[in-house]
Amino acid sequence: MSRGVLDEESFRLCCRLLLQRSEQLRDGWSWKAVQGSEEGYLRKTALRSVVIDPSPARDQEGSGSDSEPRTSCQSCPDQQGREKEESALVASVDTDRVSGAIDDDEDDEDDGVCTVSGGSSQVLQYEYHILHSCSYAAPVLYFRAFTQEGRSLTLEEVWSSVHPSFRLRLQSSPLNTISLQEHPLLGQPFFMLHPCRTEEFMRPVLQAQDQHRPVNYVLSWLSVVGPVVGLDVPLKYSTSPGSSTEPH
Amino acid sequence: MASDTSEAASSPPDLKLQFAPFSSALEAGFWHQLTQKKLNDYRLDESPKSIKGYYYNGDPLGLPTRLTLEFSAFEVDGPTPAHCCPATGTLYNTNTLDAFKTTDKKALLEKEAKEIWDSIQSGAALKDPSILCKFILLTFADLKKYHFYYWFCFPALCFPEGIKIIQQPSALEQVFSAKQITALQEAYDVLCIKRGTTAEPYFLMKYTADTVQMAPLEDWDTFITDTKKVTVGVYDPCTLSQHPGWPLRNLLVLLASQWGSKLDTVEVLCFRDRTLQGSRSIQHGVIFQIKLPELPLNSACPKSVGWEKNPKGAMGPRMVNLSECMDPKRLAESSVDLNLKLMRWRLVPSLDLDKVVSTKCLLLGAGTLGCNVARTLMGWGVRHITFVDNAKISYSNPVRQPLYEFEDCLGGGKFKATAAVDRLTKIFPGVNAEGHNMSIPMPGHPVNFSEATLSQAQTDVEQLEKLISEHDVVFLLMDTRESRWLPTVIAASKRKLVVNAALGFDTFVVMRHGLKTAPVSRGVSAAADSSTSCSSASSSSSTPAGPAPSVPASSLFSNIPGHKLGCYFCNDVVAPGDSTRDRTLDQQCTVSRPGLAMIAGALAVEMMVSILQHSEGGYAVASSSDDRMNEPPTSLGLVPHQIRGFLSRFDNVLPASMAFDKCTACSPIVLDNYEREGFNFLSNVFNSSHSFLEDLTGLTLLHQETQAAEIWDLSDDESI
Ligand SMILES: [Zn+2]
Repeated sequence: MSRGVLDEESFRLCCRLLLQRSEQLRDGWSWKAVQGSEEGYLRKTALRSVVIDPSPARDQEGSGSDSEPRTSCQSCPDQQGREKEESALVASVDTDRVSGAIDDDEDDEDDGVCTVSGGSSQVLQYEYHILHSCSYAAPVLYFRAFTQEGRSLTLEEVWSSVHPSFRLRLQSSPLNTISLQEHPLLGQPFFMLHPCRTEEFMRPVLQAQDQHRPVNYVLSWLSVVGPVVGLDVPLKYSTSPGSSTEPH
Repeated sequence: MASDTSEAASSPPDLKLQFAPFSSALEAGFWHQLTQKKLNDYRLDESPKSIKGYYYNGDPLGLPTRLTLEFSAFEVDGPTPAHCCPATGTLYNTNTLDAFKTTDKKALLEKEAKEIWDSIQSGAALKDPSILCKFILLTFADLKKYHFYYWFCFPALCFPEGIKIIQQPSALEQVFSAKQITALQEAYDVLCIKRGTTAEPYFLMKYTADTVQMAPLEDWDTFITDTKKVTVGVYDPCTLSQHPGWPLRNLLVLLASQWGSKLDTVEVLCFRDRTLQGSRSIQHGVIFQIKLPELPLNSACPKSVGWEKNPKGAMGPRMVNLSECMDPKRLAESSVDLNLKLMRWRLVPSLDLDKVVSTKCLLLGAGTLGCNVARTLMGWGVRHITFVDNAKISYSNPVRQPLYEFEDCLGGGKFKATAAVDRLTKIFPGVNAEGHNMSIPMPGHPVNFSEATLSQAQTDVEQLEKLISEHDVVFLLMDTRESRWLPTVIAASKRKLVVNAALGFDTFVVMRHGLKTAPVSRGVSAAADSSTSCSSASSSSSTPAGPAPSVPASSLFSNIPGHKLGCYFCNDVVAPGDSTRDRTLDQQCTVSRPGLAMIAGALAVEMMVSILQHSEGGYAVASSSDDRMNEPPTSLGLVPHQIRGFLSRFDNVLPASMAFDKCTACSPIVLDNYEREGFNFLSNVFNSSHSFLEDLTGLTLLHQETQAAEIWDLSDDESI
């Protein structure tokens, strides 16, 4: 593990440790085994509330090129960021031209319901998978995002939900970017953060680990790459699990 | 906290209790699974099906109260995610959009409400209070377009009057001490463990200054000893500070129905339990003091509500278009693109894929070469492929021509051009393929038998001219030499890139034709070209297709710019058309070694791609075998003029040769005649013997000189 790479066995061990801690922290990770095989992946889902930019900028920006989307986005990377994240995320639903609505007639008006205006915000469900890649000898982060209707976000929409500072960093390096890729175990289209640079940035992390507290490769890696796509790793993961119970 | 202020504004002065409705949340997996069920299981069955969703009381502030259905929604007995409450539902999947529209929504709601009411009356809801949280899902799946229409209903029974609260709701931490909150959390966890769950939808509560006790609803009679102060807990998915979520609504009806006579007010804890950054907290739960309204004395089912509003706030269904992620054709397209992009990202960062993908390719010939060229073009993501061929598929074809199958040979055989298009579309529906079943008129093959044949030839020429104009690259993949002449002339005149491939038994040539400079300057440069007249008449007789690979010639003529390169006919000393004397590679196409067409077809496309990557395209200087050690001119490497392969030696060489000023296809005089006289000139060529072109270009003269030279050579040899 010292060279910055991670073999499959170590990957599983790291995952087991991460899962234990996740259960204590209620962080939502679970292990999904692939039927009839040793293989599997860590999975977690998370919700992000995204504010749709009311300015009609988008449609005029043109489309077609697969290069960077130019959506404005002002999201806050702070700790509870996902509560108030803002971005000009897109996802305009092809709303109904279907009739068949209930006639808004008579006494059907329900006065027991509070009017919750969702405003311009939209809730997106993110699904994250961590897999081991043999060819890179590294963990790989796959993810996809859905609207509440179950529609997957396009690559462009996903880009616009990436914090601008990360976006710049990603785009300056073509080898370290988000792309659509077939999930190696599920065969479904997922977005993937390219693992090409993983070994490079993990090497110093691993060199810095001290003898008594070995670094969990997957956890350290995740805390670097996760925030890029809105996946927060609570600091509490790094505190020793047995040391104390949670403060109330 | 923006949401608080907006709530305060909407919070009623008369302290009316209002509930936050569920909003439906569907994961893509649900729609995938519904599609599978519809195709394999339900088919035309419209009967109601049991499904399952869940809700969660741990959302961060600001998220809507959701009822989530995922992939596992169809496994009613499957596990519920940890710390979530299950909700059972009824799925009505209609077969038509019309049935979806005309379904009696009110009747569906009333039926479900009646079941809830009956379970309250019978006490079944006490034993299993999850019955209180039911839902209806009405769907129509348009699997042609991957459009899913749906409408949720969360049935709630209503009191005839509204529900009043007797004071403003308070956060749990304002009412409970830290100690009580700790005790509450422990009591809840203990209850869950006792019940073998990770979440309890409803529970009873008693507390003192430092203790909290909990019990399930069904323990009411033993647990509630003092009806003056009754506290009920509800697992509350809402995050608003002034409102409870939907699950409380039917519980209040249950309380009123069961104990209404004994209860005046009830204290409700909306239990919210979230973990943020690894820290669990429950102190943001909300406590309501509720004046329990009375139900009418008769036990008729109360009025019910619950159909979800759509995003526009209207009582109407929703629709989601999933073609992007479910339509196999769309998936195939994005996967093909992705595959190519990976090549760029990982290996050749400067690769200009758009240039390749957007190139319109005209394939003249849909035989062994045409099939292999088309497949390789598809591999490169080329979308626009047009075939021209006049042959039908014969029984010998499918084993060598990978776009055809045995079935295609039956009944006289399908036309190759159209069958090839069908197959390409089957392989990749995103392709934009076209087939033209037409002949290409040839020199020495008269078209003037009748008015009809003449006008047919004219039509064919016009069609070919049009096709060449509309495409970027012309591939010459025919099995006769003569048929390459007309497209060579037209493409040279229109300045279109030509990639030519021809096969012998175990040799092949793949070449690009020289791309003439723009018409304005052509006169000048053509004159210059002719001064450096072409090579090796001597070698052309041994390998007649195209210019010869004579090693001295290629080093002599190194660094030939694209506009000075020769065409397929440049090395001929005879005009095309005389097939008895003209021993050409391509006429033996069907007896070439079977791997040859695949090799040559693939090389033809790879050559095109390399040319496209060069900043000067078809005008790029020809790379030669000598350049193999030098810095390559493109990100993909060399851009040769010709690739000549010798399968017997498993060897390729990269000769380059110059345009021949007496060429029967690309010489200035031929192009001038074609451009001035058009079809008149062409029909003369078709109708005349080969000597017409040879006379025109001066080849006749050269021919005589060469024969004289050969004779002289021979006699010289003989003399030794
Ligand atoms: Zn020529």
